[in-house]
Amino acid sequence: MYGGGNLFETIKAESVSHEDQGQLEKFEQRIDRGEKIEPGDWMPDLYRKQLIRMIEQHAHSEVIGALPEGTWITRAPGFKRKLALMAKVQDEVGHAQLLYSAAETLGKTREQMIDDLISGRSKYSNVFNYPAFTWADSCFISWLVDAGAIVNQVANSRGSYGPYCRALERICIEESFHLKFGHHCVIHMATGTAKQREMMQAAINRWWAPMMHFFGPSDKISAHSATLMRWKVKILSNDETRQQWLDMYVPKIWELELTIPDPKLRKDPDSGQWVYTEPDWEEFKRVINGDGPCNKERLAVRRTAEEHGRWVRKALQKPNSKYLTPLA
Amino acid sequence: MKESLDPRINRFNLLSLDDLQAKPTLDQLPTYEVFVQPNEDKTFQHEGIVHASDQRMAFVFAKEQFSRRSTCTGLWTVSTSDIYCTPTTENKQSVYEGIPEAEEKEGESYLIFHLLKRGKQHKCVGQVIAASHKQALQVAKHVLDITKPVLNAWVIKESDIFMSLEEDKVIWKTLPEKTFREAIDYRGSDKIEKFKQEQGKHHHE
Repeated sequence: MYGGGNLFETIKAESVSHEDQGQLEKFEQRIDRGEKIEPGDWMPDLYRKQLIRMIEQHAHSEVIGALPEGTWITRAPGFKRKLALMAKVQDEVGHAQLLYSAAETLGKTREQMIDDLISGRSKYSNVFNYPAFTWADSCFISWLVDAGAIVNQVANSRGSYGPYCRALERICIEESFHLKFGHHCVIHMATGTAKQREMMQAAINRWWAPMMHFFGPSDKISAHSATLMRWKVKILSNDETRQQWLDMYVPKIWELELTIPDPKLRKDPDSGQWVYTEPDWEEFKRVINGDGPCNKERLAVRRTAEEHGRWVRKALQKPNSKYLTPLA
Repeated sequence: MKESLDPRINRFNLLSLDDLQAKPTLDQLPTYEVFVQPNEDKTFQHEGIVHASDQRMAFVFAKEQFSRRSTCTGLWTVSTSDIYCTPTTENKQSVYEGIPEAEEKEGESYLIFHLLKRGKQHKCVGQVIAASHKQALQVAKHVLDITKPVLNAWVIKESDIFMSLEEDKVIWKTLPEKTFREAIDYRGSDKIEKFKQEQGKHHHE
């Protein structure tokens, strides 16, 4: 699960003029040849910083992303759904660990990243600041938010940083289970009783706006983003990922005779592009900056977990153990 | 304070808590590198790391993290600090270029891992007997059949690895009725078809 990565908070444009130009040239040639960058390689500061931020935010999104669905584990309809949802939520937390390790190879420790999450210094995907009112909301997340995540992650797995690509490949395999599970849940609701259909439709109506926000505002084409594209830190623009997702999933939603709360939504036959009502980006900004319906709750849960587990970690500490940056 | 939709959050009164104090710096546990054998015909390959206080804990975490979804027939964990790691070379150049060959002599058992392509994983390619990590690489050059340029090599003393045993394989046995790996087992499209037919009937009535 994942929302946009480097979109919610990019680092300020930074010049590469202080870098060793010979090294920079070799680095760029390697990327142009389609080779991956590995942890021990020379890399520009901007590359390192941007990747740490992007991978870290992705990891936080997995941790926080486990929460809205996690609240439905105890109330899942039936044993099978409960088992599957537990496994899925465990996957998401595992994805966070994979991503934290990838970021660690760039020099920021997992502990620093978790500190930054629970103190509110670091951001995570906006979509998880909304509540899951009913089981149908959980179904929507499992299918369609995960589908959005897959679009992003498949793109990013073609990026240039080896450890991030390896983590994403693993994640994408597991996400494909989630997608099947989520689709199955939504089909079950949509083809069920009138009440079930009504619940599913209500969930789509609630989640449509956050889902459109999920991919982030249209990218400004700046020199900075052009550099990140050339270095294969960013692979697709926000609009490209949004279009891909619409193209793959709107027909599947319509197939279930469910409706989408956007009267303008249609595929333009000439351009092949989806046309939609421009999402409310003021709300997006408000929520990402802390004023969403669940921001406080999400961080409170993480902080409490951190505090309650502290004695365990303390008990596990050994006086001579030494932390080293992981290898790959 | 607004109530949460999650009854547990209300029960524990989490939303009324003040922001906690900054976390004391203490709990960065050491890292362990994890190797997985995906099936009996394949060699062990590096999958990632876990943070743990010791090898046994690392093994438990690694089992959860790396062997739940995909198939697995063996799992190794080793402390990051116990791995001897060569620098990564430029493409086409092998880490074995420029190091001398050595005969296999008395010593301990070392395992050799190769990275053949940037972005891929280190794979276990063989075992040698040597007196040190460095010497193990020299012996490997002599003993192993190395045909492709090796971009990066890891050397690990076998006794430093916490390995799953033959009898542990039962951990990864899944029940025959557990067919979740195949998309077709979800039978989603059957349900949609049936639904459409029924909708069609209603429209005609």
